[in-house]
Amino acid sequence: MPSNLDTENQLVKSLTDKFKTKIKTEYVKHNRIKISTSQDNLKSLASSVKELGFEQVISQGGTDYPDNNVFRIEYHIICVSKKKLRSIMFSIMTEISKDNPEIETLIDIFPSAEFHEQETYENFGITFIGHPRMERLLLPEDWDDIPPLRKDYVLPGRG
Amino acid sequence: METFEEFVKRILTILFWFLLISPLIIFPVLFLLIPILGIDVTFANEILTATIDPLKAIKLADRYGVGPSSTFFKVAAFPGFTFAALVATLTILYERKLMAKAQLRVGPLYAGRFEGFLQPIADLFKLLGKELVVPEKADKTFFWAAPIISLGLGASLLAVIPLSPTSYIARSDFSLLIPFAIIGFSPLVVLIAAWASSNKFAFIGGLRALHQLAAYEIPMLISILGVVVLTGSFDLMKIVEAQKDVWFIFPQFLAAIIFYITILSELERIPFDLPEAETEIVSGWLTEYTGMHFGLLQLGVYIKFYVLALLFTLLFLGGWNGPAFLPPIVWLLTKLFFVITMIILPRAVLPRLRLDQLIRIGWAWLIALSFINLFIAVIESSLGVI
Amino acid sequence: MQNAAMNIEDKGGDQLVLHVGPQHPGSGHFRILVTVDGDYIVGAKPDPGYVHRGAEKMAEYRDYIQNIPHLERPVIIDATGVTLPYVLAAEKIIDVEAPDRAKYIRMIMAELNRIISHLYWLGIYGIFLGHSTMFMWPMGDRELFIDLAESIGGTRVTFSYVVPGGVRNDMPTNFTERALKTFDYFEKRIEEYKKIFFNNPLMTARTEGIGIMTKKDAIGLGITGSNLRACGIDSDTRKDEPYCLYDNVDFEIPTRKEGDSYARCIVRLEEMQQSMNIMKQVLDLMEPGPIKQVIGGVMRGEPGEAFVRTEAARGTMFYHIVSDGEKNPYRVKISVPSFRNIIGMTHLLVGSRLADMPAIYWSLDYWPVEADR
Repeated sequence: MPSNLDTENQLVKSLTDKFKTKIKTEYVKHNRIKISTSQDNLKSLASSVKELGFEQVISQGGTDYPDNNVFRIEYHIICVSKKKLRSIMFSIMTEISKDNPEIETLIDIFPSAEFHEQETYENFGITFIGHPRMERLLLPEDWDDIPPLRKDYVLPGRG
Repeated sequence: METFEEFVKRILTILFWFLLISPLIIFPVLFLLIPILGIDVTFANEILTATIDPLKAIKLADRYGVGPSSTFFKVAAFPGFTFAALVATLTILYERKLMAKAQLRVGPLYAGRFEGFLQPIADLFKLLGKELVVPEKADKTFFWAAPIISLGLGASLLAVIPLSPTSYIARSDFSLLIPFAIIGFSPLVVLIAAWASSNKFAFIGGLRALHQLAAYEIPMLISILGVVVLTGSFDLMKIVEAQKDVWFIFPQFLAAIIFYITILSELERIPFDLPEAETEIVSGWLTEYTGMHFGLLQLGVYIKFYVLALLFTLLFLGGWNGPAFLPPIVWLLTKLFFVITMIILPRAVLPRLRLDQLIRIGWAWLIALSFINLFIAVIESSLGVI
Repeated sequence: MQNAAMNIEDKGGDQLVLHVGPQHPGSGHFRILVTVDGDYIVGAKPDPGYVHRGAEKMAEYRDYIQNIPHLERPVIIDATGVTLPYVLAAEKIIDVEAPDRAKYIRMIMAELNRIISHLYWLGIYGIFLGHSTMFMWPMGDRELFIDLAESIGGTRVTFSYVVPGGVRNDMPTNFTERALKTFDYFEKRIEEYKKIFFNNPLMTARTEGIGIMTKKDAIGLGITGSNLRACGIDSDTRKDEPYCLYDNVDFEIPTRKEGDSYARCIVRLEEMQQSMNIMKQVLDLMEPGPIKQVIGGVMRGEPGEAFVRTEAARGTMFYHIVSDGEKNPYRVKISVPSFRNIIGMTHLLVGSRLADMPAIYWSLDYWPVEADR
C-alpha cells in the first residue's frame, strides 16, 4: 500500500485552518479521513467539506454507545467527479446525547442523505430537524417497540 | 398426485363403461316404450347402429333437422362456432409452441404424448375448476355480462363469412361490412369490463383500449375500401371470385400492410398490447377476471383473431382460390395458417409501444396512408389493372 | 408514528393514485405510490421496506464468519458483490491479508457475479418493455455463468465463497478452458441481443430520451453505479480505489453522456463485455499458490473500525464495521447501491408518462431486497 498522505493532509489542514479547535482530527490514513466535531458545528463543517469537492453522501449511520449515553452519527462523504479526490472517503462525525436525540439535517447541503437520515431516524429514534419526511421507511407500520438498532433492543430469542 | 394423462385415462374409462353398459339398460327400456308410444320399430335399430356408424348418424341427424346441411349444424358446428373455437384453441397452442421455439424453450410438453398437444384441454379444465371471484365493489350485472357479450360478439362475427363457395352460414350482399359493424362494438365490451371491475388498473386499461380501438378502426375500414373499389362489391364471395387470377395483395400491397397493422392493434397484440400491459397496469381491463370469466374473454378475443385472419385471407390472399388438386377449404386453411403465423410473430421480436406513439402512428400515419391507398385503388380500377 | 404513505387518498378531480406494488407484476417487493393526471405522473413516492429483515441488527449477534452467509441473503443474485466488501472490512479488523491467488479468484467471482446480475436485470428489463424473447434469452445464457460460478463456489447463487484470509477452495483445473468457451459463446450472443433488442427501433423509441438524469442531479442525489456512469461520469470504485488486484488489469469504464434509460441499458451491456475482458486477463495473470491464510481460533479483532467500498453489480457497496474486540462486530452499517438509487426514482418518474414507469424504474436496476436489507 502506498502511504503518501499529501492530499489527505492538505485537505485536513485546510479544514483545521478554518475551524481551529472546533474540530478534532480522529485520524488521517491512506484514503480515509475522519474528523469529529460538536453537534452545533456539524452543519458548517459539512458545507466546508462540500466546498472541498466532496459531493455525495455514500452512507450515513449511527452507532449506539450506551456506556457514554451517546449516539455517534457519521456521514461518509465521497467525491465522484474529480479524479484526484475519488479515492478518498471523508467521514465527519458527531456525538449527540441519548436523552435528547435531535440534530439538524444535512439534506440541504447533501440531498443524497435524505433516505439515509430517514433510516437512521427509524432505527435509532434520532430526529433530524428540518428533514421534510421524518417518517418510517423500512420498518413495518405496526412496529411499536423501541428503535431496533439501539443496543437496549435485544433480538427476540437472542437475549 | 394424478398426472393429466392419468386423468384423461380415467375419464375415457368412465366413458367406455358408460357406453358399454347403457345399451343394456336404455335399449330394453326403449323397446318397452315403443309399443306404448307407437313409434316406428326401426327407430331403435337406427339409434343402435348410429352409435357405431357415422354415416347412419348423419342420416339420422338429417331426418331430425340437425344434419350437416341444416342451419343448426352450420351455426353450431361448421363453419360456425365449434370450428371457430377449435381454430382459436389451436391458435393458442400454436402461439405458445411458436413463441417457445423462438425463445429457446420447449413450451407445453407434458399434456398429451406429442409436444403437449392436449394442453388447451388441460387449460380448459384448469379454468373450469377455478373459483369465479367477483370483486365486492364491482358492478355485478355488467361484470358477469362482459365475458358473455365478448364471446357473443366474437361468435356473431362468424355469421356471414364464407369458408368456401359451399360452406357458409348466411349470404349477404354486404358480408364485408357486417363483420366490421360488429367489431365496432368491441370497445364497448372492453369499457363494460373495465368499468364493472371497479379497479383503477382496469379503468386505465379500458381507457387505453378505447383510445387504441378508435384510432385504428378508421384506417382499417378505409384500407379495405381499396378492395371494394377494385371489385365493386361488398360481397366477400364476389371479392374472392375477383381474385381468381391476381391476389389483391399485389395491387393493394399498402392496404394489406395497413390492414395487418390494424389487426395487431385490434387484437391488442404486441407491440400494441397497451390495454393489457402487465408491467404497467397489471393486466389492464382483464385484471379482475378469473377462471372461466377470463376463459370466455380470451376465447372471444381469439375468435376475433380467427375472424380477422380469415378476413385478411379472403381480402388479400385470394381466399379459397388455388390449383384444383386440393379442395378449396384446404387452400383457405393453409393461407389462414400462414396469416395466423404472421400475426403471432411480432410478439417474439418487438417490445410494447407507448400510448402517444401508438396514437401518432394511428391518426397521423395509417389514416394518411390508407387515403393514399384509396387513390391508388381508384387509379388502378380506372386503368383497368384488375 | 404513522407512515404518511398510508394517508394518501384519492384527491378526486382528474388525479388518480395508483399503488404500484407490492402485488404488481411490475414492482417487485416494493411499492411506488404513483399519482397520475391523465397519462402523466405528477407524483411518485417510493415505499420500500416490504422485505426488511434487519440484517444490520442480526449481524451484531453473529461472529465474523457466520455473518458471511447471513449478509449474502439480501443480494443473492450478486452474492460476491455483497460479501466481498464485508470480508475486506473484516480482514482489516482482524488484520489478515489474502494471498495473491485468492485475490485473483475473488476478482473472477466478482466479475462472474456482475455478469449474472446484469443478465438477470436485462431479462427483466426485456419483459418490462413487453419483449418476452429478451426475457428468455438472458435468463438462459445466465445459466452458463451460473454453471461457471458453481464450479468454483459449489452452489448456484449463494456461494459464501469469500472468507477472511482468502477463499474457501481453489478453482477446478479445467476452469480456464470452460470459461473461455463460455465467453466466446456469449460474445456472439451479445451481437444477437443487439440485433433483437438494443438496435430494435421500437425499443429505442421506448427508451431514448426517457428518464433523463443530468450529470449535476446524479452527483447531488448520490446516484451510483451504472446509472452514474450513464450520465457521463467515469467513476468506478475498481479504478478509483482499487481493491483486490484490480490495478493489475487493464479495462475500460463504459460511459454514456445522455443519461437516459437507453444509456443505462447500453452501459450495462458494455460492462458485461468489460467483465469478460477482466476475467480473461486474470486467468492469464494467475499463478499457482496458496489460496487462504488460515486463521486459528475464533476471529476477533482489535477495537476499531473499518470502511470499505467495492464496486458491486449495482454500484458502490459500502460497509462500515465497528469492532469492540469481541468476536461479534459491534455495529455493521451496510450502504447498498439500490437504497441510494431509490432517490433517483422519485426524481425521474415525476413528469414522465405512466407507460414509461417500467422503462425508468427498472433501468435504475433497483433490487428491493437489497435496498431493504
